[in-house]
Amino acid sequence: MDGLKIFKAYFTLAVFCASTCAWAADGAQTAIRFEEIGAKAGIRVQHHTRRFHGKNADVLRMFTSGGSAVAVGDYDNDGYEDLFVTDSDTGKPNHLFHNNGNLTFTDVAAAAGVAGGNDPQSVVSDAIWFDYDNDGKLDLLLARFGTPILYHNEGNGKFKDVTASAGLTKFANTIGVIAFDFDNDGHLDLLFANYFRPVNLQDLKDPHVLPNDLDNATNGGGVTLWRNTGKGTFEDVTEKAGLGKVKGWALDVGHGDFNNDGLQDIYIACDYGTDHLFMNNGNGTFREVTDKATGWDTKKGMNVDVADYDNDGWLDIYVTNITDEYMKECNMLWHNSGDGTFIDVAKETGTCNTGWGWAAKFGDFDNDGWQDLFVVNGLRSAGPESYVPLLLPVLTTPGLDITDVNNWPDIGGRTWSGYQKKHLFHNLANGSFKEIAADAGVDNEMDGRGIGMGDFDNDGRLDIVQTNADQPLLFYHNVTAKVGNWIELKLIGTGKSNRDAIGARVKLTAGGLTQIREIDGGNGYSSQSTRRAHFGLGHAGKIDRLEIWWPSGRVEAVSVPVNRVTYVEEGQGVIKR
Amino acid sequence: MKKSLSLVWLLLLIASGLFPCQLPASDADYQQGMKALSSNDFSTALRYLELAVAGDPDNLRYGSDYRQAIIRSKEFDRALKFFDQATAQHPKSANLRLNYGFAYVDKIPAAGSITQVILANNALTEFTRSLELKPSWIAYYTRGTSYLFWPKIFKRAALGVADLQRAMEIQKSEQRHRYHVKAYIALGDGYWKTDDLVKARVAWEAGLKEFPASAALQQRLSLKGDELKNLIEAQFDPAARVNTDLRDLWTD
Repeated sequence: MDGLKIFKAYFTLAVFCASTCAWAADGAQTAIRFEEIGAKAGIRVQHHTRRFHGKNADVLRMFTSGGSAVAVGDYDNDGYEDLFVTDSDTGKPNHLFHNNGNLTFTDVAAAAGVAGGNDPQSVVSDAIWFDYDNDGKLDLLLARFGTPILYHNEGNGKFKDVTASAGLTKFANTIGVIAFDFDNDGHLDLLFANYFRPVNLQDLKDPHVLPNDLDNATNGGGVTLWRNTGKGTFEDVTEKAGLGKVKGWALDVGHGDFNNDGLQDIYIACDYGTDHLFMNNGNGTFREVTDKATGWDTKKGMNVDVADYDNDGWLDIYVTNITDEYMKECNMLWHNSGDGTFIDVAKETGTCNTGWGWAAKFGDFDNDGWQDLFVVNGLRSAGPESYVPLLLPVLTTPGLDITDVNNWPDIGGRTWSGYQKKHLFHNLANGSFKEIAADAGVDNEMDGRGIGMGDFDNDGRLDIVQTNADQPLLFYHNVTAKVGNWIELKLIGTGKSNRDAIGARVKLTAGGLTQIREIDGGNGYSSQSTRRAHFGLGHAGKIDRLEIWWPSGRVEAVSVPVNRVTYVEEGQGVIKR
Repeated sequence: MKKSLSLVWLLLLIASGLFPCQLPASDADYQQGMKALSSNDFSTALRYLELAVAGDPDNLRYGSDYRQAIIRSKEFDRALKFFDQATAQHPKSANLRLNYGFAYVDKIPAAGSITQVILANNALTEFTRSLELKPSWIAYYTRGTSYLFWPKIFKRAALGVADLQRAMEIQKSEQRHRYHVKAYIALGDGYWKTDDLVKARVAWEAGLKEFPASAALQQRLSLKGDELKNLIEAQFDPAARVNTDLRDLWTD
């Protein structure tokens, strides 16, 4: 670790903070509070991981214990964020929860035609909303262990399966997906994180499908980049774009403009191996910069979320890993040094240990102008016996083929890294965070997977949906009193920008503090949060400057009222919804 | 006559390899290696140090200094390959086995978390082989301490305590050395790891009686609860580099 760079980062922050952290100091007194209202809201649905058949069933179920995802998006443009929640076991329906506008939801998945996907050969693993044809209506993509499903939003509450005509027919064991416009042509492309290599786990012919090394595996599914042609179809450009060399067990992917050049870059979190950071060349290709930019990591990347947590104008990256009594990996908070390098400051910021981490998301929960961080965790909370000692012979028996499913012991009723408390880190505005999950009421012990953040009641406070594997969903309503002022911007791209404005950057200055947000297309494991840009303003009652850097390259200054959700259309400024 | 006798004597010395100005080959290699190391010429240093170890495999110092050079050059796999071949050629060398085990330990901080487990287990295997060849203070102390690095869930701390008790027995029958304080510290840590704080304190107090200047023992005895826990857990952090330099054994 480069001590000088860390010192510089903290020194800069300290100098900057001296004049701007007054609200944050107040904010530290503001008690962030959530109430879990999943049942009352009508969305406390149970997730089911896929049950496999045959003698390898238990091990395969263990290795595929994800699939509990959530995607936030206003699919019917009624001004309220809706939810899509996945299930994974055979025949189990997915859920499309229409927001009734009063913090209750109605499951309309069956009527909308999007409940399916968990057929005997395919496992639903992730979902994202994105307007692939720029018609102003959010379409829905289901990632699967299998072929994906692309649903076109017909605009009448119904969706139509257009997967085949879109050309998305390639089989992969996809566990994560994001939508972003990597070539800035105004059409949203798709990046898939593929866990296993493309073998059908439902009908396993060869049992040698597990990682060939638990820290440096090279037999995973890698990633697939699908370019949106703008004609309703997608083409696989993985090799052409320079991403074909990723052979690891990609568990999550995230995007952002990490070098402030107007192009979307990508971070690939790999289980059982080193993560990858690719910078966008601006010509349809990427260059890998991992060695120079981040270097050594802890080999179990589980999540990618992107935010400028220290308000220095550069996007940082948070990656969860595994930290438990038997494995001390520590998460990685990659602080962007602004010179092409990133320094892991997880330990220094207090965000290192979150157990067996899954999704993590930044969000300003008390509207103090500094983004906090919520992290979910936990694997297989079951009986009193631990599975971990059974793994030792697998790891240490000389010559044992660990790729062979048959060489792994059944987990049975044992617990792995279970019953772990969730973590909520309050940003102290001085380069560090304080863990406040218990006080905030979110320290549940479920086996968390995805985090969907959004302002579901349009009150300016970010709420949280937490999905759990083989357990019910939790819905945390933000009831924090005395939050700061806020704005939320729903951006609508036009012309050469994609309509969802994914990749747009918003730069806001208020109360002496400048913050940035980028609209993302599904960052974070098993989840997609709101595409509204949410800003906390602290005490500031007005915005000094607000600029939108659209994907097209247009830079637009707008004036918006505080404490409101505002719609902004590229080239038009503020519009009515 | 006297002159010719001296000449004969000299020739005999040369013939028998005992000429005092002529270093044994392995020692000459060792000196060359250390000289190269001092100028950060790792390539030359490692080559000569390997020759030194190969020429005198049971020499703990050669093996230890070779590993320290490996740590500096980060060529951990080279060391593992070298020791693998060397132990195959010298299967009865206990100290070579010991250094082989330490070579696995040396690589741990540079490895991923699961590879760390594999490396630690391989190290234990070599430490055990060393012990089987020659039970000694260093062999028991090394394996005993090694067990203490394992997470509690694997229940190996009790094995560590047993080895460290043997190390204590040996050191009580030996001439006193400064490095013996390490066994007191580790034995106490082992008791702490087996949830026997009373015995831990007894071990540390006994150590302090014999080594009253030991800051490590003083610190342990002055801490309680989470502070003590944090201290001991930091000692056994698998990601931190363990000092495997054995020079105490020949400088004390």
